[in-house]
Amino acid sequence: MAVVEVDGLRKRYGDTVAVDGVSFAVEEGEIFGILGPNGAGKTTIVECVEGVRRPDAGRIRVLGLDPSRDRAKLRRVLGAQLQSGMLPEKLRVGEALALYRSFYREGADPERLLADLGLAGKRGTAFEDLSGGQAQRLAIALALVGRPRVAVLDELTTGLDPQARRGTWDLIEQVRDTGVTVLLVTHLMEEAERLCDRVVIVDRGRPAALGTPGGLIAALDAPRRVRFRTEEPFDRAVLAGLEEVTEVRTRRSETVVTGTGDLLRAVGTALLRHGVVATETRLERATLEDAFLALTGRPYQDGEAA
Amino acid sequence: MTPAFALPARAWAMLALTEARMVVRDTAGLVVPLGLPVLIMVMNGIGADGAGRAEFRGLPALDAYVVPLTIVMVVALIGVVNMPSFLASYRKAGVLRRLSVTPAHPASVLVAQVAVSLAQTLLGVALALLVARSAFGVAMPRDPFTAAGAFLLAAAAMYAVGMVVAALAPTPNAAVAIGLVLFFATMAAGGGFGGRGQLPGWLDALGGHLPYGAGLDALSDAWTGAAPDPAQLGALAGTTVLAAAVAAKTFRWS
Repeated sequence: MAVVEVDGLRKRYGDTVAVDGVSFAVEEGEIFGILGPNGAGKTTIVECVEGVRRPDAGRIRVLGLDPSRDRAKLRRVLGAQLQSGMLPEKLRVGEALALYRSFYREGADPERLLADLGLAGKRGTAFEDLSGGQAQRLAIALALVGRPRVAVLDELTTGLDPQARRGTWDLIEQVRDTGVTVLLVTHLMEEAERLCDRVVIVDRGRPAALGTPGGLIAALDAPRRVRFRTEEPFDRAVLAGLEEVTEVRTRRSETVVTGTGDLLRAVGTALLRHGVVATETRLERATLEDAFLALTGRPYQDGEAA
Repeated sequence: MTPAFALPARAWAMLALTEARMVVRDTAGLVVPLGLPVLIMVMNGIGADGAGRAEFRGLPALDAYVVPLTIVMVVALIGVVNMPSFLASYRKAGVLRRLSVTPAHPASVLVAQVAVSLAQTLLGVALALLVARSAFGVAMPRDPFTAAGAFLLAAAAMYAVGMVVAALAPTPNAAVAIGLVLFFATMAAGGGFGGRGQLPGWLDALGGHLPYGAGLDALSDAWTGAAPDPAQLGALAGTTVLAAAVAAKTFRWS
């Protein structure tokens, strides 16, 4: 049985349709991503799953519970981390965790959780004095302290520096390894590719695609790109004439060749035959961003600033 | 919101402990409502002649007017200014929203904050009475039951008004501003800056039926042993019911 089932979800605010016809099922022990640009309706979807919003249409089940009707039962099995806000600024880390632990009849050991999340040294630090990364780790701790079976994490790494972001990703994988099913909301393609077993791509409230990140990219048959550098200028015709090549562009010493098929080998062989010395040659693989472009016809707006 | 109250007893204790910590760590909010009313009372006490007054059935003005005024000031500062500013800041910081995805309903924080701020109020009243008694030999109320009843009724009205402030204030700053305006306006109309007798008749009547003036008169009556005015007690009860209804209808959790 799927841990989270969403079927035909629809939600509107006034005249604006926020979510329309979104369906997916999250299996036990999965990290499932809801991916899309800002304003795509991702948060609305998880708010319906959390039971803080009531859908206009569609059916949702979390471990067999209806979030609108069985709110009290749902709260004991679902841990959530919200996109923004959480604690009074003068509340300290250890106090917050003890408080949240008291809400649950059974739960995790707060001390253990603090140690696991690298916050043991911050036990006496007020919430307002935590760094962004520390606050996010505390948010994860609070979402897990009731030992939930499902954790919903909304824009977990937004605003974190790359190092803190990677650390957080490692943590989420550890959480999944303890058997918790993770529903992850993100607008970061890189995060979805790195973490998620499967993703649903949402665009303007509608589902654009559902599958594994690798599967979605593979299904693209997207053009490939080969990049390399050369010391000396060379005649681009040696590449442009190849069957696999669709475009050759050179800017200063770097050349980017776009094409299909076994592009890397074709380019390498041609360069060698004409005595062109190429360095730093690499094949760029398609990303979920390319998948988004192919699915929606629009480039993906990361929207980090929003 | 019924499932909220299926919380373990330990959770209630932790919520109350948390609110107590927040109140204690908010230094200005802790000190001002305890210190300012007592300071005003002391300044009045130092200058008082201690002579009994006929209008207070033989009690000095300090006993029958200033001490009740001090008590109402403590209740009003905490109920109308402090308590709402906590709740407004919790809403703004997403504390209430975050709680709505735990087994604890955000209403449980309201309950805990009210309980803790009521404890702070009682501490302030106890401090005022202790100083009044030891420094100026102020008499205790001739009718202690009326005093307790008047205090509870005034506190209920002030807290209900405070809940309306918390419900309607868009930001924590707005909550403090609205709370202070209400505090000073009802204090001025209620006789906090000198007897209401000097006010125009209509303002005297109005101020006497707003929580500050009504609470002050009811406590003053308890000190002198006079029967409190049923209209003023009714005004306190009516304010409580009306304001609580408005707050319940308009309170937003996020």
